[in-house]
Amino acid sequence: MSKFFRLIGNELFKIFIRKSTWVMFISLAALVIFGAFLTKTLNEMNTTYSDNWREELQEENEQFEKEIAGEDGEGFVVTYNGEKIAENNYYLENDIKPLNYGAWQFTLDNAGLVSVISLFTIIIGAGIISNEYNWGTLKLLLIRPVSRTTVLFSKFTSVFVFGLIMMIFLIVFSLLTGSIFFGFEGFNPKFVISTAEGFKHVPIISELLSSYGYKVVNLIMMTTLAFMISTIFRNSSLAIGVGIFLLMGGNIIVGILSRYDWVKYILFANIDLQQYKTGNVLVEGMTLGFSVTNLIVHFIAFLIISWLVFTKRDVVATGE
Amino acid sequence: MKDVALQLINLKKTINKKEIIKGISLQVNQGEVYGLIGPNGAGKTTTIRMIVGLMNMTDGDIKILGQSIRLNFSDSIRNVGAIVENPEFYPFMTGMQNLKHFAKMYDHLSEERIKEVVSLLGLEKVIHQKVKTYSLGMRQRLGIAQAILHKPKVLILDEPTNGLDPAGIREIREYIRKLADEEHVAVIISSHLLSEIELICDRIGIIQHGELISERMVDEPEVDENHHSKVIFDVKEFEQAQGIFNELQIPFEVDKHRLIAEMNREKIPSVIKMFVERDISIFGVTAVKASLEDQFLELTGGNVIE
Ligand SMILES: Nc1ncnc2c1ncn2[C@@H]1O[C@H](COP(=O)(O)OP(=O)(O)OP(=O)(O)O)[C@@H](O)[C@H]1O
Ligand SMILES: [Mg+2]
Repeated sequence: MSKFFRLIGNELFKIFIRKSTWVMFISLAALVIFGAFLTKTLNEMNTTYSDNWREELQEENEQFEKEIAGEDGEGFVVTYNGEKIAENNYYLENDIKPLNYGAWQFTLDNAGLVSVISLFTIIIGAGIISNEYNWGTLKLLLIRPVSRTTVLFSKFTSVFVFGLIMMIFLIVFSLLTGSIFFGFEGFNPKFVISTAEGFKHVPIISELLSSYGYKVVNLIMMTTLAFMISTIFRNSSLAIGVGIFLLMGGNIIVGILSRYDWVKYILFANIDLQQYKTGNVLVEGMTLGFSVTNLIVHFIAFLIISWLVFTKRDVVATGE
Repeated sequence: MKDVALQLINLKKTINKKEIIKGISLQVNQGEVYGLIGPNGAGKTTTIRMIVGLMNMTDGDIKILGQSIRLNFSDSIRNVGAIVENPEFYPFMTGMQNLKHFAKMYDHLSEERIKEVVSLLGLEKVIHQKVKTYSLGMRQRLGIAQAILHKPKVLILDEPTNGLDPAGIREIREYIRKLADEEHVAVIISSHLLSEIELICDRIGIIQHGELISERMVDEPEVDENHHSKVIFDVKEFEQAQGIFNELQIPFEVDKHRLIAEMNREKIPSVIKMFVERDISIFGVTAVKASLEDQFLELTGGNVIE
């Protein structure tokens, strides 16, 4: 087992010693800071609540009512203001002071950047085997007292350790940037969210974990797919291309095929597990259990195919 | 008889229905340096790839220290160090980082051992530079370094002197000899640099079209009845001597004041006896040992790429 960890150490060393990896981290950091600037500018419009928040909320509601009265009972303003009023009432009824925007909420808003991490993890996953072919170093790796299976799985694991490190970096860096730009809300702040069953007062951390968690599903599946493609074709560009295309375009494929009932069996229809939280399932009758099973089956199939190809194949001269 | 370190048993490889290795059997003893020579495309690298497990064998078996590599590959390969074709490393890492990377794939390989190997191959000055700045010769040395890190009992070197300068070749040659003589490592070296192999090997196998067509000790005398080698006669009575060769039906050439006869070395004493009987003054007789190169070309019919 300690050898397996040493192999992972080797892989991470090879990943982190390359400048291209640092470019990835710098880009991600730049996006976070850019997002903070943007939010800062937009947030000028948002209200911050003082200790007199009860009166402030009441004033806000009166303003919303006025706007609704100005409309003829329909349209965006009516729905939006209606929701705001309901939310404000929830605060007032439950005597909860609205949480001002800060580092945690900024971090939560950055959940979208997980797709950027997915992209980078796909690039790493697509290169981790095929680069060894290109560098001609695979032969030096395989003539050691380590089975090909172990080499393969140490590489596969390393890709996700990389993804995890990047995820932690995103969260920590967002919290730091958020604290500088918007202030820190405390160590375990709670805020109010709107769910299918009405408003709820929940800890941000749990919301953060679930929000990031749902996006990680796509990361895992597309990276595993890219890993398999590069293992089969020994070509990282192809694997990156396919991986990123499907990462972005999976929904489009589902959209095109949505008139067929069998669409529910394809991978992309099952990647978004959030559909079970919101209740908007893609095909009537799909369940969380169904989707999770579907994902696991795909995941294992990708791994088995990679394993079969990698362990059985002759390693011939480089550049082939 | 010494212990057998490496044994190939009727080894075969077929790629795309083409038989590339057609049943090679050979064995290398502990402490022996075995040279595998053959023209380009003969199948040397393919054979080596099978020994180190980079390619699956189609048929036959390979035994390392008596154990088939089919049974427990990891345990067998632990005793093997190898260079396969070009010495390629992670170009963005230093020589030291590369060595440590491979060292971590073995259990209990100490820092001291790495340092020892580095100084053994004279790499101290460049070891902390990135490999992409290395010359071919330096990479070749690093290649040998990674092959011997774990003190293997069997060392497999596919064209290890490729890219080395004459001094480097000599150094490596001496080092390989030392490994074989002092640490009883079995070494198998492939090459087409015949003169090279002749100097370092105990035994040589010539491989062609995927077959082992000849095997011999390097300093084995020519015992073949029908084999004719060149014998140079330096004599005073030139014409008379020519007459004797004609009499004995021995073909010869005239080279200034010497006669070069094509004959079996077994016959040399009887020819000398005749010369003496006929009062021919002999200044010298030299049996030219056909160089391996001649033998090689003779056996393979020229160095033609398959
Ligand atoms: N992957 C492959 N697919 C098809 N044929 C191959 C493959 N690898 C090698 N060969 C063929 O096998 C034969 C032996 O090749 P090999 O590389 O073993 O020769 P070699 O003796 O090492 O030659 P060299 O002296 O040039 O290094 C050649 O005819 C080559 O074309
Ligand atoms: Mg070769």
